[in-house]
Amino acid sequence: MSAARVSNGAWTALKLGITALVILPFVFILLLSFRSMADIYRNPLGFTGNWVPGNFVRAWNGPPGGTGFSNYFVNSVLVVLVAVVIAALFGALAAYFVSLLPARWRSRVLMIPLIATIVPTIALLIPFFQMFSAWGLMNSPVAVGVLYAGLCLPMTVLILHAFFVDFPGELREAAALDGLGHVRTFFTIVVPLSKPSLLAVSLLNLIWVWGETQVAIVLLQKATSQTIPVGVLTFQSSFMSDLGPIFAGLSLATVPVLIVYFVFNKTISRGVSMGGTFR
Amino acid sequence: MTAVSRTVSGGAGMQVRVRLVLLAALPALLLLLVVFAYPIVQTVQLSLSEWRGFGPMEWTGLDNYADVLSSDAFWDALRNTVVFALGATICIVAAALLLAVAATRGQRFDPAFRAIWFLPAIVPGTAAAVFWSISVQPQSGVVNAVLGFLGLGNGHAWLASPETALWVIVGVAAWTSTAFPFLLLAGAIDRVPAEVYEAARIDGAGDAQQFWYFTIPLIRPVLTMVVALQLIWNFNAFTLVWAMTKGGPAGSTTILPVLLYQEGFKNGDFGTAAAMGVISSALLIALGAVTLRGSASRAAGE
Repeated sequence: MSAARVSNGAWTALKLGITALVILPFVFILLLSFRSMADIYRNPLGFTGNWVPGNFVRAWNGPPGGTGFSNYFVNSVLVVLVAVVIAALFGALAAYFVSLLPARWRSRVLMIPLIATIVPTIALLIPFFQMFSAWGLMNSPVAVGVLYAGLCLPMTVLILHAFFVDFPGELREAAALDGLGHVRTFFTIVVPLSKPSLLAVSLLNLIWVWGETQVAIVLLQKATSQTIPVGVLTFQSSFMSDLGPIFAGLSLATVPVLIVYFVFNKTISRGVSMGGTFR
Repeated sequence: MTAVSRTVSGGAGMQVRVRLVLLAALPALLLLLVVFAYPIVQTVQLSLSEWRGFGPMEWTGLDNYADVLSSDAFWDALRNTVVFALGATICIVAAALLLAVAATRGQRFDPAFRAIWFLPAIVPGTAAAVFWSISVQPQSGVVNAVLGFLGLGNGHAWLASPETALWVIVGVAAWTSTAFPFLLLAGAIDRVPAEVYEAARIDGAGDAQQFWYFTIPLIRPVLTMVVALQLIWNFNAFTLVWAMTKGGPAGSTTILPVLLYQEGFKNGDFGTAAAMGVISSALLIALGAVTLRGSASRAAGE
């Protein structure tokens, strides 16, 4: 009995240690964004010196002659909205109607999104660049949002399909008796009843899109078109060693998703257990 | 036009017109075509051509592949990529397993630990990368400050040294990427029936034995999938490396996605870059297919 208590104590210590390792970077980012460069260089662990909320103003407005988070923020929100809405709409339509097919057909059709999930981004990047230059879409956040919707689709379809397959057949039959066609049934019965799953998938898509860098760095080269993850890099090189505004920028990049996570963490972890994955 | 009126009986005994299914799936299919199918074909075509970023492509056969395979830079990058992908995958999966076991012992606050431990997964990769690269700077960095406080010296230039830079990025990858597989593995451990552990305890199995002989075999399908996906993603870990070192110092962190980006978007040699993309994708897809097929057939056999 006492051996069990000792081992429980060891596990608790381990868990607190892990928690510290997870949380401390967030604490440092937030605290350091309120400190001056000189104080950070003098002692990064100390909390003495001036309180400099002005770091946030400089991060929001950007360096003189450059672009700031006011700009990156709008682009990121735009990209996220376009990507999440299109992925949910196209994904739900495809997943629901495929789920009505006989099992033998379904498994074949689902090979398409399954294969797409293992295609690495490096195999797609240069043609993305070619397509965007040829169609005059370079530096367009909306176009990048549509592209992200496509990159999110395979996972969205797989998760939603797994959900729709278990959708109660009686509800569909009742709708059919009421004279509703498949399309009406989908929009008036299936979608409202699937809101939790649609939300879970959309939140996973949101988090992925909010952090995507590899595609954005290639397609959003003009500073005014850049999203937050690319902006963070532009920022790092334009503020150089002035760490205050850089940390304020990191706070601005992180806090919005933190809020989303605090509000929806149950839904998000359900999304993960439904088989969600980040690329 | 038989297809137009063709119906199949669906899973719930309903009649569905095939044309309707096609129509509903059409937007998704078109988008997948534009975002996946066409670019893959185009990458292969580019890899057989010369293209400098504008104008028409010029067919050059296998020249790009010959260039790539005979260049030292490619083989160095491939070695870095394999070291990084293996190192990061081992660290991430081991940490994720440890966290998953720790969070499923039925202790108080386990749900809270689970919620908190997922946090690093939601941070934009570049933000985590910039934070950690500032933190490992000599003197001004938090990590070095802590090491100095512990008497281990605060002057280490971890990212400026070719010996340590890659391992710093492996560590950052472990910080950002453990959360996801952790949650998946914890979910799999949750689904192991409690009777299994009761039976094991009656047979006198300790914690470690229960883990190796019961937990691991029962979560193997999820574990295999996690390992395969981690290998694939870490093989493609452009964001962290580009944000932290841009491939330096002295090329010691140049992994294939970074080399491809430099070759294409910095040097303007898109054909060669595309050939690298084709070679590494072939390696990755083979890896993914082998691992996932193995897990599928094992799952089917059980």
